[in-house]
Amino acid sequence: MSANPSTRTFRPYTGEKARIARAYDYLVLVLALFLFIGSFHLHFALTVGDWDFWVDWKDRQWWPAVTPIIGITFPAAVQAVLWTNFRLPLGATLCVACLSIGTWIARIFAYHYWNYFPINMVLPSTMLPSALVLDAVLMLSNSLTVTAIFGGSAFALLFYPSNWPIFGMFHVPVEAGNSQLTVADMFGFQYIRTGMPEYLRIIERGTLRTYGQVAAPLSAFFSALICTLMYTLWWHIGKWFATTRYLKRI
Amino acid sequence: MKSIERNQIYTRAMAFHIPINSQQQSASKWLLFLGLILSAYMITLQPVMAHGEKNLEPYVRMRTIQWYDVQWSKQKFNVNDEVIVTGKFHVAEDWPISVPKPDAAFLNISTPGPVLIRTERYLNGKPYMNSVALQPGGDYDFKVVLKGRLPGHYHIHPFFNLRDAGQVMGPGAWLDIAGNEADFTNNVQTINGEMINMETYGLGNGIFWHSFWALLGTAWLLWWVRRPLFIARYRMLQAGLENELVTPLDRNIGKVILVGVPVLVFAFYTMTVNKYPKAIPLQTSLDQILPLSAKVNAGVVDVETLRAEYRIPERAMKLSLKIKNGSDKPIQLGEFATGSVRFLNKAVPVPEQSNAESVVAAGGLSLDNPAPIQPGEQRTVLMTAGDALWESERLDGLINDADSRIGGLVFFFDPEGERYVSSITAAVIPKFN
Repeated sequence: MSANPSTRTFRPYTGEKARIARAYDYLVLVLALFLFIGSFHLHFALTVGDWDFWVDWKDRQWWPAVTPIIGITFPAAVQAVLWTNFRLPLGATLCVACLSIGTWIARIFAYHYWNYFPINMVLPSTMLPSALVLDAVLMLSNSLTVTAIFGGSAFALLFYPSNWPIFGMFHVPVEAGNSQLTVADMFGFQYIRTGMPEYLRIIERGTLRTYGQVAAPLSAFFSALICTLMYTLWWHIGKWFATTRYLKRI
Repeated sequence: MKSIERNQIYTRAMAFHIPINSQQQSASKWLLFLGLILSAYMITLQPVMAHGEKNLEPYVRMRTIQWYDVQWSKQKFNVNDEVIVTGKFHVAEDWPISVPKPDAAFLNISTPGPVLIRTERYLNGKPYMNSVALQPGGDYDFKVVLKGRLPGHYHIHPFFNLRDAGQVMGPGAWLDIAGNEADFTNNVQTINGEMINMETYGLGNGIFWHSFWALLGTAWLLWWVRRPLFIARYRMLQAGLENELVTPLDRNIGKVILVGVPVLVFAFYTMTVNKYPKAIPLQTSLDQILPLSAKVNAGVVDVETLRAEYRIPERAMKLSLKIKNGSDKPIQLGEFATGSVRFLNKAVPVPEQSNAESVVAAGGLSLDNPAPIQPGEQRTVLMTAGDALWESERLDGLINDADSRIGGLVFFFDPEGERYVSSITAAVIPKFN
């Protein structure tokens, strides 16, 4: 490929060239799938960790704050590469879909079959609605700043409400041991985790009490603010790591 | 000339070739040897059954939670059957300075995953669900009700998770769960009166919502992946054909996503809020349960430790104890327990306390003066707790600890079988010869 073909002289690939270019697409897609399933899932498991693993960690304070802040990292970096070089607005959805695949594999095989936990106790959260909106904002705005501010905020703000249909039912109260628990707390009590005593849960801790019992919206807006910064940071990390110099030699 | 050169080359090649062959043969032999060792190792592999009960430093095991009288209601039962573990523990007064105080402790059960579920738990007769603050010097009894979930042969311990300190194991037991895993049921009644199956509750709903969003996400990905991607788009972008890469239809779909997804999210959120109006936040309180009236150091028999020596060659701890019998009957020292190891005095009939798999040194306890201590008498006794268990249970590592103090419980018995328990503690002086 010539370095900078002008619009007038541009000729699309046809025949064998087109077929090879398409084969290259599939090759990269398959590699990307495995790469993101592995790397994003590992990154997520090491950072969000227990907040995403266990149903009795998904509180209204830390879970909606921590998960989007960590969850926006890879989507921002991959968007930077795919949008800047290819105008492909699918980086966030691709990353989050890969994360979902990796998470479900781990929950079924590692947590359920290997460690005997019921799958409903380790249901993962979803960030796909947030990712779709993030991709749409980038495509429509073609702007890092707009995507960071509005897309990043939307990514965080949509997280809690999009997961409530999955986890709301685990917050139904139960009376047990002369106290009130949620169904989720009952899972934590009944299904024994030797390395996870109740006091280790980081839920409802801290000084986020200014607005009384509305901790979730406050956490979500805090998360939105941090997500705008994280998005920008990881966009630049993505650009820094990625290169298209091999494409220029084709 | 050419023939000579050829011969030289051939000779040189042979000269190189022969050692390589020799090296290959040698390497093959080594590989074969290593393979044999590995095979022998694989054949003799045994499953690991430990839980790290000896892993914690001896002074933590001996001077934090001092377990005794641990009992299992049964050790062979079926899936869905209940098994109850009961016992007592004393929280050492001489709590190590390097271990955070037990302001948050969780009475747990060491299992290889949830092969049993915990249905009830009591401390001093009170049910509790969360962590609890323990008081050094306090006495507690506990009861945990478990229910068989997965058939198998398991080594189970009650133990305490101590915040920022680690796990202090109680005596373990082998449990055999028979039956069929598929028969396990676990129904819980919600506060609304609805009976839910904890094994499947919310699973279908979770899969539905994940699938719903996965479908939309996949559709978005396929919308783009169906077209030529990387090389073709890169070339077009470089050629200034950016407008052809994102078409008006793409933009319209983007606008639908931008508006439609948040609308859907909030519609589904509102539906769920209306469906579960009584949802509450996760609960995270710390239970407050006061200790029992004193069971250890109850004021009847007073014990003061004057000196403790550990004789390394003999694997024997010698403790000089000043004992005052405040009871109205003669008493004899029958047992010393520390770090879940029990040293028994053969001369004193000790009632069987436990069917848990205690590590016992029967006859491991001896006194310089075995005569009963009479009512009102004060006597200094040299107690020797000697057994290889000091080493095999890794309690002799005390001499390498930064805090080399010992702690434990001594048990006295009167002729009518009444038991008096005292805690002892002292710095340990090692004797190397």
